[in-house]
Amino acid sequence: MKRTVFIVLLSLVIITLSWSDPDFSIILADLDNLGNFDDTDYSAVYTIVSEKPGEDQSIIQARLFRRDNKEQFVLLILKPEVQKGQGYLQVEDSIWFYDPESRKFERSTLRENIQGSDAQNEDFNRNSLSEDYEIVNWSEGTLGSFPVYILELEAISRDVAYEKVKIWVRKDRNILLKQEDYSVNGRLLRTSLIPNYLSVGGKYIPSRILIIDALNEGERTQITVSEPSIAIIPDYVFSKAYLERVNN
Amino acid sequence: MKIFIIALRNVNRQKKRSFLLGGAIAFGIMIVTLINGFAGSFMENVADNFSQLFAGHIFIEGVEKTEEGKSIALVRDETILLETVREEGIPVQYINKRSAFGGTVFFQGKSVQQQVVGISWDEEEFLKDRLHLVDGGFENMELKKGIILSQNVAAKLKVEINDTIDIRLRTVFGQLNVGDFVVAAISYDPGLFGSISAYANLEYVNELLTLAPWEYQTLGLFLDDIRLMDVEVQRLYQALGEKVELFERKETVEENPFMAMMRQGEEEEWEGIRYRLFTLNDFLKELEQIVITLNIASVVILLVLLVIIMVGITNTFRMIMYERIKEIGTMRALGMQQGGVKSIFLLEALFLSLGGAITGLFTAGIIMFGLSKIYWGLGTPLSLLMKNGYLTFSIQTGQALMYVIIVALFTLAAAYIPTRKAAKMKPVEALYNIGTFRR
Repeated sequence: MKRTVFIVLLSLVIITLSWSDPDFSIILADLDNLGNFDDTDYSAVYTIVSEKPGEDQSIIQARLFRRDNKEQFVLLILKPEVQKGQGYLQVEDSIWFYDPESRKFERSTLRENIQGSDAQNEDFNRNSLSEDYEIVNWSEGTLGSFPVYILELEAISRDVAYEKVKIWVRKDRNILLKQEDYSVNGRLLRTSLIPNYLSVGGKYIPSRILIIDALNEGERTQITVSEPSIAIIPDYVFSKAYLERVNN
Repeated sequence: MKIFIIALRNVNRQKKRSFLLGGAIAFGIMIVTLINGFAGSFMENVADNFSQLFAGHIFIEGVEKTEEGKSIALVRDETILLETVREEGIPVQYINKRSAFGGTVFFQGKSVQQQVVGISWDEEEFLKDRLHLVDGGFENMELKKGIILSQNVAAKLKVEINDTIDIRLRTVFGQLNVGDFVVAAISYDPGLFGSISAYANLEYVNELLTLAPWEYQTLGLFLDDIRLMDVEVQRLYQALGEKVELFERKETVEENPFMAMMRQGEEEEWEGIRYRLFTLNDFLKELEQIVITLNIASVVILLVLLVIIMVGITNTFRMIMYERIKEIGTMRALGMQQGGVKSIFLLEALFLSLGGAITGLFTAGIIMFGLSKIYWGLGTPLSLLMKNGYLTFSIQTGQALMYVIIVALFTLAAAYIPTRKAAKMKPVEALYNIGTFRR
């Protein structure tokens, strides 16, 4: 009899637990953790192919250096030739843009679009969804063949470019498949699709991202990642002097 | 006195020659006066037109440091600012409040960068006189989301009146936002400054920037007289400095006061609210170079013309001496001294130069008067250089007088050598034309 009661109670607990909401804060933290390199350095080459209606396709290639535990990052433009040597550097809270032609550093922000594409500096930096946003709504759905959680997020601080964000996360494992970014007044600005990931040092980073501009019909940006590495990056790389010197 | 009469008679005797020489001098003076007249009013007109477009001569901009350490541009409480303006008796004609953002305009797959200025149309009636519309009308701006685009931008986007355009912008906090505007009117684009010419309603611009309806970014003071701005800004700077925190107004060779204040905002550590106090002249400093260039060009033209005229005068006076060699001999035989002969010919040169210069000034005056009466319209690329569609000229008396003196001195110098040689001739040799006038 006792055994029967125990089984019934256990079943009730299991059913109740399975019915309760998943802990989305953990999901957000997992998503951040998935692409953050807090114990190692990270570098890779990013190719940004941008298409705008009525304009020629533009291709930008940049090498990214990241040291997430110190919130340092350097993005050095490799192509096209006319922009070669330009770079973005994060030193503490400041983001600097360096132009070798003028040999001057100008203040920039993580929210700055890179060379007129739909990609922003913060797309290459460490993930911080769990720090910057809170979940205001969620639902379940399917994206392609994957069952997903659809989470609606709202910014906690005004430090982020997008006030509202909607993300599609795989149910079976915490991987981001799609993201919609909205303006302060709720207009869809861009949709990012992440069909492929690659594994680097136990972490997963998107190997291909397709960004579709919602305001400019026909404008899209594709980011592909190559040569990922977690090898130690020399300290001098994260300095203004490096950006100046690398051009000589 | 006789010498004067003889000199005048001689000038009059050779009418054709005097007309040609004096005409050359007159032409040179006329060109130089026209250039100087245009340059003289250039800065005044440009400053005046810009003061209408920017809605003021003196501007006060609030900058607030947020808790996150960001600087945001806004005026939350205008009370102290307006009180100080009133207490100091700043001669203000209008006070305007504006907010603005730079954004990307999208329309059917096309996009352009554009600065959008939010205006309170009820308070800035005068802007309607300044903006030359080529399509649509100001009445359409009663629509909250109405926008006036410049002709150039409208053509790039291929938009027409009542089309809806999207503009992506950043709020004062740097977050992305989108405004959907309805094209209310299309304004003539003066070309050089097309990007400053999109105007919308302050209420909607504030909403997109996430400012409160009563807040704004820049307070513009439109003075009674544009020439007072540099004096009044110093007075206001002193008075406001005792009540609120101000960015220091300092000017260096490398940057104007406005740029210096922008740099201070980025480089210095500060908290709370600070204000930038700047004038239209701070922006227009670079344009002064154009006036300097025009003045230098006019001086160079004058010098080139003078050299040509001097060569002509020297040759002409050589010929005059040759023609009048017997006359010189007669005068000398009748007792006229060398100095008298010299004076007659130098006076002839002086009369020629003065007559030419005065004619040149007079002709320039007539041309300027005629040009200033023609209405060129506000729809021309030169409208920013004109006053309400009319060309204006400003002549400085001292400068004009200086040019007349320079011309007179150059002419005298040119005539001096042949004159001296003529005066040194012996009466007998001159009478019998012996040896003639030595070259």
